[in-house]
Parts: sequence; structure tokens; C-alpha cells
Amino acid sequence: MNSPFPSPAAGPFGRRLKRERGAKVPVTVVTGFLGAGKTTLIKRFLASPEGQGTAVVVNEFGAAGIDDALLRASADETVLIGNGCMCCITRSDLQEALRRLVIERDRSEIPDFKRIVIETSGLADPSPILQTFATDRALGDTFHVDVVLTVVDAATGLDTLRRSAEARKQAILADRLVVTKTDIAGAADALSARLRALNASAEIVTAASGTLDPSRFTEPAALQRNAFVAEAEHSDGIGSFVLTDDKPMPWTAFAKAMDTLIALRGPDLLRVKGFLNIEDCKGPVLVQFVQHLAPPPVELEKWPDGDRTNRVVFITRGIEEKQVRELLNAVRAIL
Amino acid sequence: MSATHPLTKNGESIAWNFKLLAQNDLGGFGGMGEGMAVQIAKDGRRIIWLAHESAPKNFTGVDVSDPRNPKVIVQTELPQPYMRSNSLEMTGDILAVAYQTQKIGQQPAGLELFDCSVPEKPRSISFFDCSGPHSRGVHQLWFCDGEYVHMAAGAPDFKPSHLLDDQFYRCIDVRNPSKPVEIGRWWMPGTSATDNIQPPPRHPLDKGYRAHNTNCYPQRPDRLYLCYIDGGMFVMDIKDKANPKVISHWTNSPPYTGFMHTAVPLFDRNLMLVTDESTENNGKDWPKLIWVLDMRDETHPVSIATCPLPPVDAYKDRGGRFGAHNIHENVPLPTAWQSDQIVIGTFFNGGLRAYDIANPYQPKEIATFVPPAPAGSPVGAIQLNDVFVDERQIVYTVDRFSGGLYVLEMDF
Repeated sequence: MNSPFPSPAAGPFGRRLKRERGAKVPVTVVTGFLGAGKTTLIKRFLASPEGQGTAVVVNEFGAAGIDDALLRASADETVLIGNGCMCCITRSDLQEALRRLVIERDRSEIPDFKRIVIETSGLADPSPILQTFATDRALGDTFHVDVVLTVVDAATGLDTLRRSAEARKQAILADRLVVTKTDIAGAADALSARLRALNASAEIVTAASGTLDPSRFTEPAALQRNAFVAEAEHSDGIGSFVLTDDKPMPWTAFAKAMDTLIALRGPDLLRVKGFLNIEDCKGPVLVQFVQHLAPPPVELEKWPDGDRTNRVVFITRGIEEKQVRELLNAVRAIL
Repeated sequence: MSATHPLTKNGESIAWNFKLLAQNDLGGFGGMGEGMAVQIAKDGRRIIWLAHESAPKNFTGVDVSDPRNPKVIVQTELPQPYMRSNSLEMTGDILAVAYQTQKIGQQPAGLELFDCSVPEKPRSISFFDCSGPHSRGVHQLWFCDGEYVHMAAGAPDFKPSHLLDDQFYRCIDVRNPSKPVEIGRWWMPGTSATDNIQPPPRHPLDKGYRAHNTNCYPQRPDRLYLCYIDGGMFVMDIKDKANPKVISHWTNSPPYTGFMHTAVPLFDRNLMLVTDESTENNGKDWPKLIWVLDMRDETHPVSIATCPLPPVDAYKDRGGRFGAHNIHENVPLPTAWQSDQIVIGTFFNGGLRAYDIANPYQPKEIATFVPPAPAGSPVGAIQLNDVFVDERQIVYTVDRFSGGLYVLEMDF
């Protein structure tokens, strides 16, 4: 904004993009508990035509025997970056691995790739990885997380979800939940119900015999798939809701309300993502937050479905829809 | 392109955010120059006209109605092996072609106009002679309004102060296309033997103080954006076409190594793009760049950024040239894509690259296309030479030596 070189062809957030990721490298983050079948799914994907040109980053050394593809090992080292803020603890080796891929491609030293799949450690909380992509200081200027895929074993999933907070968080933060081994364990109705309770907005798909429609790896998660689920209390104090509003939103109101929310409760904003109908913008403005980090908002060329309703999914710890709505209304009233 | 294809000595090919739809080697005559123009024929076909870099071919018309299946519909011959038709433009059905010779004094050298209303049968309308004892003819031309051809040309009556400075700016009235008439000319002071001032000092690579691109746009019909190869960029007042006047001048050389090529104003944003041309193999003239200029005051251009390129050591030894050359010029015709947000340029063995200049202080590369060396390449690497984007946002780019035409989609 306030550029000395404004263009009628651009909006207040710069060039309007055809798609969320613009020109960034699409990333699929695959999480899931140990033994859930992540590696098998990834190998099958790589063998499919859609998987051609995929670089794989394994967040746990030696976890996978993927030989006919690019492979970068990325151990689980955490370091402080920037000013030492604890929320900015990030996986510097993941950053290094991804940046090296792009640099080596720029130099044409490695085969061209179109997509990156990150296989996380089974025990990993995906939040720090998502944080890494949420700021231009780290990877957000070059890479875009298209989809977080969480793999759950039909045989042991319920038990794992019961005893592991990390497993629950993996399910809660997923854009898409993949239930594996249904060929062995049979129908997983109870597991599906549990996953639905944990994450009302994620698509749930099954992958019998480790085979998944390749598009489930690549297709970005649709926003607000189940907007009718106004609010869901999951576990560990984590809940989710969709904030909707029919009226055009002044950007200042949303930005100031989020500033306030971040200042007061940043660590409890696990993931926020949505489309805003911002005044003076033609297309939806995509906003994303992971705790207090946010990539710059971008305006898309057009609304995907013609529905210009503001819609923002919040996954929070102990923050309710009513509180956020009232904060937003209060800010709008004051401005 | 598979993720598992083997490494080559020239490095891997890249197709990042560009999708290759088709390639056509133009019947084995795929060495292309820097003239590309799109015509919508009367029967609705979309024809792209391409200038050849060297003899024996003159120009080629390709039906690109289906961008996935380009078909050569006509290919014409040059009358002499020492000629080249490096540049062309088209308005309506009239095609203007530039003829340059290898040596001064050779003939024919000049401007030829063709009626292409039947694309398979281009019919010559007129020839405007630019040959002369000190002239190599026409290197480049601009023809977008159907009325005037702006061109970099020699003339029978022009004697340069230095052998290499033979081509200057000439404005030709073609409102009667059968009788083109010169109505204005301008040369950089000191480059004519008749000037009473010292000739400009020679650059180390000494490519000549001669005109290259002569762009003029309907947003400012009284302005000419003129690049002089070793002389820099001139903003010219051509309200009186008979008496062009300098408004401002900007150059990067020295310390850079000259060969300024194209200036494209972005009127709504008060910006300008200026390209250099790499002319030396193996990166000897590195860096040759696309420059972004702040033109809020047209009398005082200020360079604010360049478009970033990969490290020279990753490309310089692949064969041929590596560095900037042509960009999509927002040709003011309905068949040309218009953008002041994205720059698309060719970089010889660095391929085709797109930049987002939403923030002009920090151009960001958003797409790359570096194909493998085309069959028959004498340098063993791609040498993408020119680019044109039509209003459908289909990207056409050409190889300098053998690859012919590449048709791509923007995927960003």
C-alpha cells in the first residue's frame, strides 16, 4: 500500500493472484503417528503420474526408503532465530533443506521439481512446521502449504488418539484426514466419528492398501468445507469455529482486531485461515495466521464460488467464536 | 519432464510455473530473430509472424489458433544470403519487415511492407530502400498504429563518424503503404560525420552507437522510447516528428558494457523497463540485465532495481550467451497482452523468466523455462531470443539457432 508506483491493475495487496499460492512452490505436509502408513502413501504417490516432479523432504533421518525420488534428510533440530522470541523457534534444518532444493534447481543442478512433500516425524507436532511457512522471514516467501495431510491407522488410530496429545493435534490441524489400513481393520466408523469430532472441517478419505487418489495429495484444501459446524470443542482445550459475516470488511478493522487478539492470545491461535470480502477489493483476500505469525495477505482474481461472505476458520485454544466476533465488532465500532 | 531424467552437462531443464504446450522447429529453419507479431486473419485464424535471425529464410507465418498444435502456413525466402530480416511488426493485415545486410553497401537493405490478408500468400506492397555506402539497412522497426514505422536504420545519405554507428532513428510515414516517406530522423550527437562535436568515446566491446528499439505508444504518441546500443536510453519528444528532441537520457555504461536494447514504459505506474542484450558467449559481458526505472519525472530517470538472475557460474559455460535480451513489450495492439505487474524476458541459455514487479524495488522471479538444447544447436544450449505474449496469455518464445517456436502457458 502507499506505493509511489500504483497500478490500476493491482489491488491494495498487490498483484491479484489466480490461486492461493500464486507462484510459490506448493508444499504438502504429511503428518501421522508412527506406523500409520505415511511412507507407503508417499511412495505410491511418487509412482503416479501426478507425483512426477515431486521433491520429498523427510523430517526424520532414515525414516523412509524412497530411492526413485529426490530426498533430503532433515533432522529435528530446533534453534532460535530472529530476536529470540520463543514462538519463533523453528526447524532451521528444514529451512536449509528446502532452500537448498530451490537454489540447486535455479542452478539446474538437480532435476526440476514442481512440488514438495514433507514427511514429518511421527511424533511431531505440526505447528512449528506450519509456523516456518507462515512468515517471510523463514520459508513463506517461496513456499506455500497447500495441504496438511494427516494419516491415521484404522486399526490403532482410536487408541493412539486417546493416549497421545500430539496425535490429537495432528488430527486437529489437518486439512485432510487419511484413514489407512481399512483393508485390514475393516470399516472405521468409530474412528471417523472421533476424527470428525476433533476436526469438523477436514475432508476424511480412506486409503485401503495404502492407495490414495493422487489428487488428495495435491489439491489445496477447500476453505470452510463444513461451515455449518459453527463451533466444536475438541480436546486439550482446542476448539474450532468459522467466523462468517455478510458485510464487506474494512481491512483496518480486521487487521486491528487480529493485532489485538495476537497481542493478548497469540500462542492460542493455532491456525487461522480464511477469505475476506475487503472493501475496494475485487477478489477475496486470503488471510492466514499461525499463532502470531502471518504471511502477507493476498488478493485472488475472483471468488471461487461467487459467494462473497467473509469466512475465516479459527483453530484456537480456549478462545470462543463469540469472543472473536465481539472483539471485531468493537474494533469496527471504534474505527 | 520427469523428476528422474539424467543430469546433462548443460544442467537440468526447468519448467517452473510455465507449461510447455508445443514446440515447432519451423521445418528445420528454427533460428529466429527478434520480430514476433500476431494477426487475426479474416477467417478467424490466429497467425504469429516470426522473423528469422539469418538467411535463407525471411519470415514464417504459424497458425497458432490451437496453441497446442502450431502449424507453419508460409515461410518466405530472402533474396540474398547476406541479408537478415531480424525484425517485423504487424498492424491489421500489413506486415512491416526490416532488412539488414552483413556489410555496409550491400543491397537490398531497407523496409518492406506486405499485405498478408491471405496469410498463405504475403504480397509485397512496397520497398523503402535504406541501403547506402555507409549503411547496413534496417535492424529493428516498430509499427503499431498503421501510420508510422519507427525504425533503427541507415540511409543512403548518412555518413557516420564511425563505421559501426550507421543506424539511427528514422520515422517513416506509411499511411500510403505503397509509397513510404521519411518524415523525421535523429541521431545521437557526434555519430554523424557532419556533426561539429567530438564523436562519443568507444566502449570496450564497441558494439556501436546505433539505434536499437524505437518504441512508441498511443498513451503518449508524442514520445519515443529509444535505445542506443552503446549510447543508452533516450526519452524523445516527437510531437513534431520532423524534429525529434531529447527529453532525457539514461545510461548504465560504463561501468556496464553497453548494448542497451529495449525501453518499455509502464505508463500507469510511472515506471520503465530497460533491457541490455548479452552479445558475448560464456558470460564475458556479464551482467546483462533488465533494469527498472523510476520515471515519475521523465526528465530524470532513476534506476531503482534490476530483475535477479541465477548465478553466472551456473550458466556461463553451458554454451552460447547468458543474459538479458528481449522482453514482452506491451505492444499496443488488441492481440498483445498488457501488464504492468509482470515482466517476461528471454535470457539466451538462461531461458525464459517471469518477474513480479508489484513491488518495483524488489522484482521477484515467479516462473522459469529453460528447455534442453534443441536439436541442431551449434552452441549446445538453448538460446531463447525473443518473447511475445498474446491477449489469451499464451506465451511464444523463439530460439536463436535451431529450436524455432515454443508455445507456453503461464501457470502463476
